[in-house]
Amino acid sequence: MKRTFVRTSAIAAAAALALSVASGCSDSGGSDGPIKIGAINGITGLFQTPEVPKAVKAVFDEVNAAGGINGRKIELVSKDDAMDPARSSQAARQLIKSENVVALAGSSSAVDCGVNRATYSKEKIVSVPAIGVDPACFTSPNIAPVNPGPYTLTTAMLYYASETLKHDKVCIAYTVLPGSGGGIENAIKEWEKLTGKTLAHKNLAVGQGDPTRYLVAIKNAGCQAVAYNATVGPWFQQAKTQGMQKVDFILAANSYSDANAKVIPPDMNAYAGTEWQPYTDPTLPGNDRWSKIVTSNNIQKTAFSQGAVMSADVVVQVLKGIKGDITRESVTKAFKEMKPINYPMVGTPYVFGPGNEHNPIKGSQFVKAENGAWKVLPGGFTVPAPKK
Amino acid sequence: MLNSVIAGLTSGGGYALLGLCVVLTYRLVAVVNFAMTAVGAMGAFVMVTLTDEGLNVWLALLIGAATAALLSGVFGAALVRWFAGHREGTKAAVTVALYVALTALGLRLFGGNTTGARQFPNPFDDPVFTVGGVVVPQSVLVSLAFAVLITLGVGLMLTRTRLGLKLQALSERPGTAEVVGIPAPRLAVGVWAGVGAITMLVIVLVAPRLGSDFGALAGLISTALAVAMVGAFRNLPLTLAGGLIVGCLEGMSSSLDSIQKYQGVVPFLVILVLLWWRSRREVWDTAHSR
Repeated sequence: MKRTFVRTSAIAAAAALALSVASGCSDSGGSDGPIKIGAINGITGLFQTPEVPKAVKAVFDEVNAAGGINGRKIELVSKDDAMDPARSSQAARQLIKSENVVALAGSSSAVDCGVNRATYSKEKIVSVPAIGVDPACFTSPNIAPVNPGPYTLTTAMLYYASETLKHDKVCIAYTVLPGSGGGIENAIKEWEKLTGKTLAHKNLAVGQGDPTRYLVAIKNAGCQAVAYNATVGPWFQQAKTQGMQKVDFILAANSYSDANAKVIPPDMNAYAGTEWQPYTDPTLPGNDRWSKIVTSNNIQKTAFSQGAVMSADVVVQVLKGIKGDITRESVTKAFKEMKPINYPMVGTPYVFGPGNEHNPIKGSQFVKAENGAWKVLPGGFTVPAPKK
Repeated sequence: MLNSVIAGLTSGGGYALLGLCVVLTYRLVAVVNFAMTAVGAMGAFVMVTLTDEGLNVWLALLIGAATAALLSGVFGAALVRWFAGHREGTKAAVTVALYVALTALGLRLFGGNTTGARQFPNPFDDPVFTVGGVVVPQSVLVSLAFAVLITLGVGLMLTRTRLGLKLQALSERPGTAEVVGIPAPRLAVGVWAGVGAITMLVIVLVAPRLGSDFGALAGLISTALAVAMVGAFRNLPLTLAGGLIVGCLEGMSSSLDSIQKYQGVVPFLVILVLLWWRSRREVWDTAHSR
């Protein structure tokens, strides 16, 4: 063979590894040392959320300044997994075995849940991620994130299209990651069950490249509303070219960013379903506390930092309710037996509970792209419910 | 199905342009340049950053193209200086490393796919005609015209001009070219810079269709290589056809439910089939392989 350059592209992926963060050993935290809480965060790598551990730490610092919990300080031990499964599992082992953390809170990694779910079950430790990214975050006995996640959000998006915007022809065009199983299919079924409606067009294999082919199929199906979760820029440019100004596009939370609001042409209709109260408006219920914490600590204002503050708050509240020693066992027990916490930044109360799968937060607040920015729509959270 | 194929064809011009840039670099300096689209994307992002700051579009385009030319020229100079005598595989590996480094740098500077989306100017957005429910905008015709221009222009330059002859000599026998008095290193760096600027223009032209963030645009190299394979890295008209074929295949694969899930594989399948086809011929034609 003359030239075999093609295989070389594989090298590219492998070359991006960064140096691992070395961690010092410290005491295992008896009943009077600090209460250690672990977190696995994407700091380097493809999924970066550096603001998350900063915001969690800010909440813990606030609690510590006010005297801690029963006189004990809370300490956050955050590990970077760089979206690398091997590093993620190593981080979990270090946190549990060497650092002796009593629980995990404020994790924000794209691989943590899938890689470490079995470890958390085996070690009988709970994790309250700031952001549940992969499907395992919502289907594991010892993990309960503070965000709705892609599945309940999809149900809420379809529900918003059919019930709030009152469209008959609702469609979906999604990029579904490999390994997410039937999660999205189940979310669609849930919407069908609640509303008694069916999709006019379904494509769960939106890929990269020119979106024209998908848009033409949507146009031919006569879709009035489209739930969409892939790249925003070219999609709306080409939807405009194809004359789809009357279609309501409903974007998933991953598209809810300032940059995306700017690339949506002014005559297109774009909505986005958010996971927490829209972060772009600090005056919304529940956002005041988050806004105060991130502003005073100079932390980037993002939706992820909302999840961080919420997960830290939830953990603090549960820890405060524990009578007696705060150990891994007592913390796990407290979470499994906790009463629902009303947290105004999300649509439904947060509860961990005893089940084998947890997805406590449901519903979404919708925003609309107007003049290059997201405008919060009236009506509060849309929580899918059966028709009366 | 027909609509999807037509929709796919409208992206063919853009894909062809990307493939032509790869073939151009290979024919002129004998390097398969994996960093090509990343260099173009770098220039394109310099341009949109400047237009976001309020700079005139044409001036920003010029500065962006100059940035890509400079970056490409520096890479070219490094390859000429340190890797001139090495095998093609080694040079390609160097460009892979450059691709990884540039992508990491670009993502850091301009943000990822949610935070780094940018509005690229789309001056050729007006519809020209509609076929089977697919609106064909001017940009499709502009891309095709640009692709034909490169195919014919470069073809003529290589075969009909003195500069073309020198460039061919440089690509095929760099050592000999230098001996007969062709200023090889300078010429090579010039070619690298020129191709860098052209790639930047191509990236700006395809951005409204193919990607608005740095990662997506730099990642277009995989499509570009697939298209270039159709032309066997040498034949410009076949590469042009390759762009249309890849677009067509994408359209077709997205319309068939059974293979919809695997449509991302299409360009790579094209590469595989072509590699197999070419190696099959080489059994009979080993004298010409180098």
